[in-house]
Amino acid sequence: MTRSHNPKPVLILIPVVACLAVLFYRYDTDSKTRHPNTHQGSAPHKGGTLVFATEREPLCLDPHVYGDMPQVYIAEQYLDRLVSMDEQGTIHPWLATSWEIADGGLTYVFHLRHDVTFTDGTKFDAAAVKRNLDHMVDPATQSGTAGGYIRQYTRTDILDPYTAMVHLSSPYSAFLNVLAQGFLGIESPAALARPRDVNCQSPVGSGPFIIAHWDHQSEVILRRNPAYAWGPSTAQHQGPAWLDGIVWRFIAEPSVRFAMLQAGEVGVIDSVPPEGETPAKANPDVSLLMADRPGNPTNGTLNTLRPPFNDIRVREAFIRSADIDGALGSIFFHHYARAGGPLSLSTPDYSPNFEHTKDYDPKRANELLEKAGWKDRDSEGYRLRDGKRLTVHIPISTVLAPADRTLWEQVQATARQTGFDVRLEPLSETANIARSDAWDYDVRIGYWNTNTPDVLRIVFGSAFTNHFQHGIHQNASGYSSPIFDGVVEQALATQDPQQRKALYQQAQEIIAKAHLQITTYSQTTRLGVFSNVHGVRIEPSLRVINFYDAWMTP
Amino acid sequence: MTKRLASQRLISRIGLSLGMLFASATLTFLAVRMMPGDPATIILGGAMANPTPGAVAAITKEYGLDRPLIVQYGFYIWRLLHGDLGISFSQHLHVAEVLRQQMLPTLALASLSLFLAWALALVSVFCTVRRGRVLSSLGASLDISAAALPPFWLGIVLLWIFAFRLHLLPPAGSSSLASLIMPALSLAIPLGGFLAQVTRESMEIALDQPFILSARMRGLSMGQVLRRHALRHALLPGIALSAWALGALLGETAVIEAIFSRKGLGRTLVYAVSAQDMPLTTGIVLFVTVAYILASLVIEIIHELVDPRLATSRRRSASLWL
Repeated sequence: MTRSHNPKPVLILIPVVACLAVLFYRYDTDSKTRHPNTHQGSAPHKGGTLVFATEREPLCLDPHVYGDMPQVYIAEQYLDRLVSMDEQGTIHPWLATSWEIADGGLTYVFHLRHDVTFTDGTKFDAAAVKRNLDHMVDPATQSGTAGGYIRQYTRTDILDPYTAMVHLSSPYSAFLNVLAQGFLGIESPAALARPRDVNCQSPVGSGPFIIAHWDHQSEVILRRNPAYAWGPSTAQHQGPAWLDGIVWRFIAEPSVRFAMLQAGEVGVIDSVPPEGETPAKANPDVSLLMADRPGNPTNGTLNTLRPPFNDIRVREAFIRSADIDGALGSIFFHHYARAGGPLSLSTPDYSPNFEHTKDYDPKRANELLEKAGWKDRDSEGYRLRDGKRLTVHIPISTVLAPADRTLWEQVQATARQTGFDVRLEPLSETANIARSDAWDYDVRIGYWNTNTPDVLRIVFGSAFTNHFQHGIHQNASGYSSPIFDGVVEQALATQDPQQRKALYQQAQEIIAKAHLQITTYSQTTRLGVFSNVHGVRIEPSLRVINFYDAWMTP
Repeated sequence: MTKRLASQRLISRIGLSLGMLFASATLTFLAVRMMPGDPATIILGGAMANPTPGAVAAITKEYGLDRPLIVQYGFYIWRLLHGDLGISFSQHLHVAEVLRQQMLPTLALASLSLFLAWALALVSVFCTVRRGRVLSSLGASLDISAAALPPFWLGIVLLWIFAFRLHLLPPAGSSSLASLIMPALSLAIPLGGFLAQVTRESMEIALDQPFILSARMRGLSMGQVLRRHALRHALLPGIALSAWALGALLGETAVIEAIFSRKGLGRTLVYAVSAQDMPLTTGIVLFVTVAYILASLVIEIIHELVDPRLATSRRRSASLWL
C-alpha cells in the first residue's frame, strides 16, 4: 500500500474555514464582553439596545387574546393601564386620573388623561376605554384571562370625551386590582379594529416601547416611544424610556439562557434555573432580582368528588404525609420558600396564620387514616380498607417542569411511609386537559397568579366548578360551600378595606381547615441581570419584568 | 419503446407522489384529531385558564370543532385541493405564512448536515480504507462509534464544550453562520459515521474487483485508483440512502432546534402537535413529504449520473432517468 494519497484541497478547506469562523466569533465575543463596569451609581445613560432572553414565546402579542404569562411580559413594555398598583397593593391613577364608585359598587366613573396618544397617532379617550373593555369580553376575542376577570362587566357609557362610566352586573371590589394587571392593558382602538389575528402580530399601545417586528420562533424587536410622557407614579422617572430598544429573544433552555448571561451576551434573563443561583451569587458580573408572585401558590389540589379524598380525614392525612419542606430544600437548594397557606405571601390581605397549619406530621397522618378506616396494610406496606388499596392518581403533564416532577416524586416517597400508593401518571398536556375536564384525577397540579385575594373565589368557589360537569373548571377540588361563597361574595361587595381584610381572613381560614390543597412554593419572578444593565424593575401587580426605567452603561 | 417507458414511469411516479401526499394528509389529520382533549380548551390556555363559556363556544364554532369528524375531514381535504392550508389555531397566522417564515433555517440546517456528513464520511473512508490493518480498523471503529451517537446527546456535549466552556460558538440563535455550526455537526457526525460504514464496505468490494487490479497494473497510484475507479461504485449505496437521510434529518431537527434555540419547522411542529393545532401540524407534515419526494427525485438523478453502468445506457436513451 502506498501512502501518497492527497486529499482534495476542498476537503482541507472545510476545517480551515470552520476554524476561521470560530476564531472570528471568539474575537467578536471578546470585544463585547470584556468591558469593565465603571459606571455604577452614575446617572442613567440614554441609548443602547438591551437583549433580554426569555423562556417562552407568546402565541399572540395582544394580551386580551388567550392570556398567558409570556404575553403579559411583553404587554408590560408597550401597553399602559387605567390604574397602577404599588408594592403595598394600593391603587394609583395612570391613564385614569381619578374615579368614583357609585351604586354600591355597580358603576365606576373614570376621569381620563387628556394628553395620551397611542403610537399609531390615535388619541386616547373614553371611546378607547369602551372599545378595550368590550374587546376583552367579546367571545370572538378568545380571551382566557382578561375577559374572565371582568365577567361582571356589562357596558361602558361615554359621558364626555374624557369621562367613561363602566357598569357591572354585581359588585366587584377587585375590579381596580385586575385593571392594574398587564392583561387588561389599553390598546389603540384603531389597531383593535383590524382582524384579531392581524392585531396579534402587531398590536399598538401607548406605552414606553413600540412593537417594531416579530420574527417568530426567534425574537420580538421593541423600540422606544419618543413621545412617552405619561408613566405611572410607581416608575422611577418620567418621559421616554432610556433604552433605544429591546431585543426580546426566546431561548427555551434554562442552562443556555444562564450561560449567555454569564458571558454577557444577553443583558437580562428570566426564569433563572435553581441550579444557577449559587454560581450567579458567586459571579460579580451577575445579580439576581426576585419577587414572589401574588395569587394561589403552586399546589396539588385534592379532588373531593371521589374517594379517597371525599373524606376530609384522608385529605389531611395526605397533606401531612408530604414532606414539602424537605423536598424544597433538596430540589431547589433552599432557594424557594415554602408557601403554606392558600394565598402567596405577596397577595393583598394575605394572612400569615396558615403557614404552618399543614406541616409534615406523619404521626397525625397515621392516626387520621386509622380513624378513617384505612387500618390494614398489604405486603408492600400500603394501607387497605375493605380489601382496596389507598391509591392516589396524579396526572403529570409533559409540560410540568422537571423540578416540579421531582417534587411530586418526593411527595410520593414520603406519603408511601404512611401507606399511600401514589401513582404519578405521565401524559401529554392534551391528555392531561382531557383528564382534568373529566374530573379524572385525585390531585391536580397547578397555580393561579393574580393580584387580588379574589383568587380564592375562582379556585374554591362553587361558581367555578362547571356544575361538576365535564369541561373546563377552575375549582379543581370540587369544593362547594355556601358559607365560603357567601364570605367571598361579601368581600367583593364591600368597599371598606378593613372589613374586606377581615372577610378574606375568614375565607383563608375556611379553606385552610377544609384541607383542599398541598401548597408547595410561591410562583416567583427570577431575573438574572448583567452588570452593565441597571434600573430593571419588577412591577408590583403581577411581578412582571419592566424595562421602562432600565438603562445600560455604554 | 424507450419513450413510452419514460412516460409510463413519469405517470406512475406522479401518481405515487400524490398518493403519498394524500396518505400523509389523512393520517396526520386523524392522528391529531383522535388525540384526547379539546382543542378549544387548549387554545384558551389549558385546564387552568379562566375563559367564559361564550369564548369556548366561539372557538368551537370558528374552527368548526362542533361538526362531525367526517365533515371536518371533508372540508379539510376540499380546502387542501384548493391549495389552502388553513389558519393555525394557535399561532394566529396562515399556515403557508408559518412555513414561509420557518422553512429556510430548517432546510439550511438539514442540507448543511447532509453535506457535512458526506464530507466526514469521505474523509474517513479515503484516509483509512486499505491503509494497513491499524488505520483501517481505526477508521472502521470511528465510523461505528460516530454512527452510534445520538444527535441530541452530541448536541449537548458540543454545547457544553464550545459554548459554555470555551465560549467559541454562540449557544443559541439562528441569525449567524456561526450559530449553524454546532447544530449541523450534531446531526452530521452520526449520519457521517453511518454513510462512511456503507461507503467503506462497498469501497472494499469495489477494490477487490479485477478492473482495479488492471488499473494498478497500468501504473495508477492507489489514490488515483480510489478516485477514478473505485469511488463511483462505492458511492452508490450511500447516495441511494441520502433521500432517506434527508427525511430523517428533517425529523431530527425538532430536537436539535430545541437544544440550540433555533427557529425552524421542527420546533414549530413539536409545538403544533402539543397544542393539537391540526392545520399547522398537517401543513408541516405535508411540507416535509413534498421535500422528501423532491429529494428522492434529485437523488435518483444523481444516482444515475454517478453509476457507470447506467451512464452507458444513458448514452443510449437520454430520458431514461425520468
